[in-house]
Amino acid sequence: MDELDPEMIRAAAAGDLAAFEKIVRAYQQNIWRFLRRFLGDAAAAEDVAQEVFLRLYRSLPSFAHQAKFSAWVFKIARNAALDELRRQKRRERLMVAAATVAVTDGATGSDGTTGEARVEIEAALAALPDDLRETVVLVEVFGLPYAEVSDVVGVPVGTIKSRMFRARERMQTWARCAEEAAGEL
Amino acid sequence: MSCDATRLAVSLRCDGELPDGPELDELDAHLAGCDECRRFERDAARLRARLRLEPVDEAPDIAAGVMAVLQASTAEAPTSPDRVTRQRARRRPAASGTAGPTLVTPGRRPRRPLVAAAVAAVAGIVAGATFVGIGRTPQSPAAADIPSEVVAAQREVRSVDAHFEVSESDEPGTRTGRLAYEAPETLALSVEGGNTLVVDRDAWWQQTRRECSPVAGRVSCPESIARWVTSVTGREPFSASAPIPLELVTPVDSFALAATPGGTGLGVRTIVGHRAVGVTVTAAQVAPFLSGLGEAAALRPVYPADPVEMWLDADHLVPLVVEVRAADDAWRPRWAAAQGVVDRPGDTIVSFEVTSLRVNRPVAGDAFDPPRGRPDATVDGGFRATRTTIAPEPSRLPEGFRPQRSGTVTAPGGPRVGVRSWSDGRAWLTVRATEGWRGGRLFGDLGPDVRPIDLGPAGQGYVSADGRSVALHGDGIDVVVGGSLAPSQLQDVAADLGIVGRVVPPSWSEAASGTLSGTVQAVPGLLAPRGLDGFGSAAVRSDGQTVSLVYAGPGDRGFTLVQDPATSQLAPSGAGDAVGVTVRGVPGRYSYEQGQLEWVEDGTSRALRSPSLTLGELLAIAEGLAPE
Repeated sequence: MDELDPEMIRAAAAGDLAAFEKIVRAYQQNIWRFLRRFLGDAAAAEDVAQEVFLRLYRSLPSFAHQAKFSAWVFKIARNAALDELRRQKRRERLMVAAATVAVTDGATGSDGTTGEARVEIEAALAALPDDLRETVVLVEVFGLPYAEVSDVVGVPVGTIKSRMFRARERMQTWARCAEEAAGEL
Repeated sequence: MSCDATRLAVSLRCDGELPDGPELDELDAHLAGCDECRRFERDAARLRARLRLEPVDEAPDIAAGVMAVLQASTAEAPTSPDRVTRQRARRRPAASGTAGPTLVTPGRRPRRPLVAAAVAAVAGIVAGATFVGIGRTPQSPAAADIPSEVVAAQREVRSVDAHFEVSESDEPGTRTGRLAYEAPETLALSVEGGNTLVVDRDAWWQQTRRECSPVAGRVSCPESIARWVTSVTGREPFSASAPIPLELVTPVDSFALAATPGGTGLGVRTIVGHRAVGVTVTAAQVAPFLSGLGEAAALRPVYPADPVEMWLDADHLVPLVVEVRAADDAWRPRWAAAQGVVDRPGDTIVSFEVTSLRVNRPVAGDAFDPPRGRPDATVDGGFRATRTTIAPEPSRLPEGFRPQRSGTVTAPGGPRVGVRSWSDGRAWLTVRATEGWRGGRLFGDLGPDVRPIDLGPAGQGYVSADGRSVALHGDGIDVVVGGSLAPSQLQDVAADLGIVGRVVPPSWSEAASGTLSGTVQAVPGLLAPRGLDGFGSAAVRSDGQTVSLVYAGPGDRGFTLVQDPATSQLAPSGAGDAVGVTVRGVPGRYSYEQGQLEWVEDGTSRALRSPSLTLGELLAIAEGLAPE
């Protein structure tokens, strides 16, 4: 992502809502894409993206201008996404457990995905553990260098290397299984 | 070069992270001769192409929503996370400084005690036994999960804005209300035609309706006394005397000790667009929630054994629906008559239902405005924020906890108390300390029954029966740790304060407290509950040969087992309502009014006492007693 004018960031931190709106508009596309990939749900990504920018607004005064602003925004987005995943997992635990003893209303969400290939890639991503998935999205979708991903995620560069390798192995295995299954039909 | 090393190098090269060097030649040489590794490289490229080129949905316009929220909530500069609070602080009424620290809330309908329980069948049919972890039917896994999920979820709740409706069987119609909350200590609760409570960190207001009581010589009541506003300034962090009803946000106290039983699962449903999970509990268990709601709604009395359906938002565990029904219970009509209410079994007597809910979204700043006009009574709680305080700081805090208010509390005639506080979302933690304590009992109001615990290098600690406070009696300093965390976490904090706790002096009432194992050795023949779930560990007290085991549960639930090997006969009953029951195969008696089940077994008199459990539950506990 492009870096913004530091003056714009300072103005927003001082309460200039017009400046802050420019920041939101500069990053909203990429933050939403990141969340969309990480969470695998377009509606949830929109909700969490809004939360990300509200968190960003609250924490702007604490931004140290030595750091890279885009990485900082990604860090906030990543933390908000992890919070959302924790909530989703809690909900799933409760719902799955409850479903064993009660009839539900059957309402389920939809992420609105279409197309077989897209479903396949979404499924492969969704099958990854959270730590691998966030790394893949930052490296593959946004092309961030490992050092920057390391900063966003908060683990050493060596861990990013091994995560990318493991993620590729897993996603390839998933894709092959899907192809084989399709071939058998 | 092995296949694993090759694929790792391929992965790095793919991302532009493989430095130039002789390894590149080795890599290419391996790839030239290995089909599987070439396939790995080819598939990696395909995956990248799909991930980067796959069109995703058009990004929505996030900015419009964000800016609308920000413009609605505040126009101030984001110079501090508590900017809204500081803006409101300027509007606080000045402290009069004339009143003492004790709070009086004129006009508030006093919360009536949840009196002695009763149950349908005197013969011991355990109608209420499903709420005790003995002899119960298997719980739904969802219900079993709720206690731990509630405690965990509180840390993720930063704000709540909810509108709700509340109705009661003895009041016509439905009243609307609103709950607004910003972590950790800012909350506004109001109910139509009822009270308004606003808590804003160190300030607290309650506006109540004041019924007029003409005194001699006064012909009529002036209209201006129809409302009464009490204001508290200098409120101590997370003060118990100027309470903030956090149970409405996340019902931690109602579930913290519920352990795995939790109640009976009701399944799932969608409430105002939120997935909700339901559980059946008792009114005694959710007493903290009802008490919190009662701060604004002045609720009618409920019977401890009344069944309650509680539905919680599955994401944040915020209560969405709470429905209290009248229990079908032989003793309940007499209880109701004493309370001046008439209920039919199964009637819904109190209903709370959220009609809109927003969690972790900014709350409009005016939601926390204090009641208009000059307060009718102002109380100074005595707290002042100070840079330094005698309250020690733990060397380690639970992850995510950040410092909140700290300072000193001074009250006329009372000790000088240092306070520190921390929070993470709705979860909170305080350390209070005083020097030169001469209270003759543990500092910190732990209650009459405490549990001594070994804190290792931190020496002797004492835990309240409900596990929510941990006290240390140190050299020249007395400290108490409190909070909404699990008891084990509070004990960890107490152990990290750098204070070595000593055993309390023999003259202090807590000196009669002991451990269960130590007491059993000193007093043979004692029985203790086995396989008990949904209650904390016992606080043990010995008074000569009489031993009391006190068990606290979630909310107001709890019981005491009293055993006296020196008494082999039941004393004459002072209760006029005692009835005969069979307990563990021997004759016993039960008083509904006193909530006490008594019997003599093996030459020892034994009694189970509880103001909140039913006879059925006490009989179930009695059946589970065994030598320790």
